[in-house]
Amino acid sequence: MSAIVNLRVFRNFQQFVSIRPISNYPTSFSKNAEIQKVEEEEEFRSLDLSPNKSLNVRSFGRKLYKRAVVPPPRSHKMPVDQDWPSVWPVPRTFHPASVPLPLNQGWVNPGATPPGKFANAELMKIPNFLHLTPPAIERQCKALKKFCTEWPKELNTTEKIDHHFPIKIITSDYLHSSPSLRDARARIVTLQLKLSTLKLDSHAKDKLLRLVKERYNPETDMLTIVSERCPLRKQNLDYAMYLLNVLVSESRVRPNNFAKQQLHIVCVLCANRAEFIPKTEPWENEKCEADMEKYVWEGSQSQRTLEQLLKRMPDREKAQDLPEVIEQYSRNVTHFHNEGEDAEKVNAYKESVKKLLGLNA
Amino acid sequence: MSYYLRVINSPFSNILGENGMLRSVISKKILLFGNNLNCTRPSSTSNSEGLKKSSGSNDMLYQSVEVEMRSGEPAVLLSYEWFASYAANQLGITIGKCWAPPKAHHNRLTLLKSVHIYKKHRVQYEVRTYFRHMTYERLTESTLKTFLEYIQRNVPEGVALKITKKSVVNLPSQLADEFQSVNFK
Amino acid sequence: MLRALVQSTDKVAVVPQLRQFHASAACCKVQSGRYKITPKRDRPLTYEMANPPHFIAHRKSWNSWDTTTLLDGQRAAETAVEDVFIRRFVTGTWHDQFCSEIIIKRQHNLIRIAGIIKQGLAVRKMYFLIGYTEELLSNWLQCPVKLELQTVENKESTIFKYI
Repeated sequence: MSAIVNLRVFRNFQQFVSIRPISNYPTSFSKNAEIQKVEEEEEFRSLDLSPNKSLNVRSFGRKLYKRAVVPPPRSHKMPVDQDWPSVWPVPRTFHPASVPLPLNQGWVNPGATPPGKFANAELMKIPNFLHLTPPAIERQCKALKKFCTEWPKELNTTEKIDHHFPIKIITSDYLHSSPSLRDARARIVTLQLKLSTLKLDSHAKDKLLRLVKERYNPETDMLTIVSERCPLRKQNLDYAMYLLNVLVSESRVRPNNFAKQQLHIVCVLCANRAEFIPKTEPWENEKCEADMEKYVWEGSQSQRTLEQLLKRMPDREKAQDLPEVIEQYSRNVTHFHNEGEDAEKVNAYKESVKKLLGLNA
Repeated sequence: MSYYLRVINSPFSNILGENGMLRSVISKKILLFGNNLNCTRPSSTSNSEGLKKSSGSNDMLYQSVEVEMRSGEPAVLLSYEWFASYAANQLGITIGKCWAPPKAHHNRLTLLKSVHIYKKHRVQYEVRTYFRHMTYERLTESTLKTFLEYIQRNVPEGVALKITKKSVVNLPSQLADEFQSVNFK
Repeated sequence: MLRALVQSTDKVAVVPQLRQFHASAACCKVQSGRYKITPKRDRPLTYEMANPPHFIAHRKSWNSWDTTTLLDGQRAAETAVEDVFIRRFVTGTWHDQFCSEIIIKRQHNLIRIAGIIKQGLAVRKMYFLIGYTEELLSNWLQCPVKLELQTVENKESTIFKYI
């Protein structure tokens, strides 16, 4: 048997040499066969208790250096159905003697065999996943399963999540290979909120938008607050929540005249909230018609003119359906201002004016 | 076991790259991997008790978690992504979109080949960063911590992770009910 | 740690420090990591030596594995200096034992040093050296350090080709 193995090795070596005459790099096959031979010859390693006589005689001279016996690779003794996750439990650099796979790695000229797994530094360099075989992952996940909890079944759609939990907080963790686990970017906290969930009235929304400026996205109705000025994530998170609180409270406060009227009510209601003091901004009262984002009929010049007109109008000429006519007129004026003028809107405006003035021509 | 023991007992044991928020992760690590481990750090043991008490009562909810992996070797990233998806499947986590940008990021340095003259002859060095993204949807806090701990433990060398977590929170009580009953008009 | 790399200055303080202008012609030849063919074709090369540096990531891979060189990587300079220090320390401690390059892999805060050494060393000596290297390096670098070695019978078994 061993002779045949030797013969085969020799022939293989001949081929090998003919392809690459200057290399004696060991291939996995030849190495394996050699080891197999050693294993067959001596089944047990013998322990030599009595020292050799001939060596004892010359013990005065230089001591003979005796090499430690290197056992054959244990991959040869591994059973086929062994428990691999317990052989290779943790990440480790590749070791050829513990991996019973015929591996080759390296670039060679086409036709030649790449270097085998023994004494191959390339295999040691590349990160291996030998500890993460499917059975190992399954086993570990089974052990980890008891630390997991189920997602609540009621929250099965995005709409429901948005309805019950309107605030989204986005944070990032960073993992890199370094002795320090700190990363300055981990402190950044982003807070997102759909503005419609706050149920703001038009004044409060207007004021909030003026306060947050570009942090509001009108397309998605999303308010985004990024906080990164504090050194810790917790502080940034608290700061973002504080900002949101302040912004919303601030925008819900009415202008001066309203606040004065309602101050006592608010104070009674909010007696237990010491931090809340209704503040007024002087600029809020200065807002005139030219500063409006949109044309609003209520309180506009057009409404005042119409009221004056109606005062001067004799009572007998007032039609029965005057409130509807005025309402239609106001709607047409608002559309005319807000949506731009075209022939259709001009005609509608004309009709409503005619109806209002009682011109039936 | 000895590997974990070594890492846990070292002063830099928390592998999450973040600032001081999730101290309880350390204790979870000890719960997971070192049931028979005598940890000498008093802070860890006290934390683990705190975790046992607090777990279950207030779990944060995470709508989505995005894991961005970067490495210089795309094959390693591919294997790692396979591992993470397999683990997520085993733990019953919903996997969202997984993708990789078509091109790697190239950091190129073009230098003179000679020391300071011969402008026509240059040499170019290049450092590549390959990316891969994975998203997981709808995780509770304990699931997320367990899963992240597991995949971060097993991150191969030369791979950096960035984990973006999107948690959902209810409105604070003062915003939810403030002024709802007061009508100013 | 850096003191080990930089020469101490108190001995040189007496001698006036001379810096001379480099006046000879620059050597424009690219030669680092490349080996010349000998007339007898008997220079042994390992696989690592047989592939010049521009084959990194194509035919051979890196000797240091960490995340510093990636986009937004941290501690690039410190890690590079530490790697140089580790290589020098290990080469000196394991004198004439390493048959391959020293591979340094960093995972979290763990540093794993891999390589191929010769089998000639006595077992006790080898165990001592492993412990000594791990202990001293982890003390200096403030990280857990692990040595993961592979042994070969002799240096010739790592040789890939002769040129």
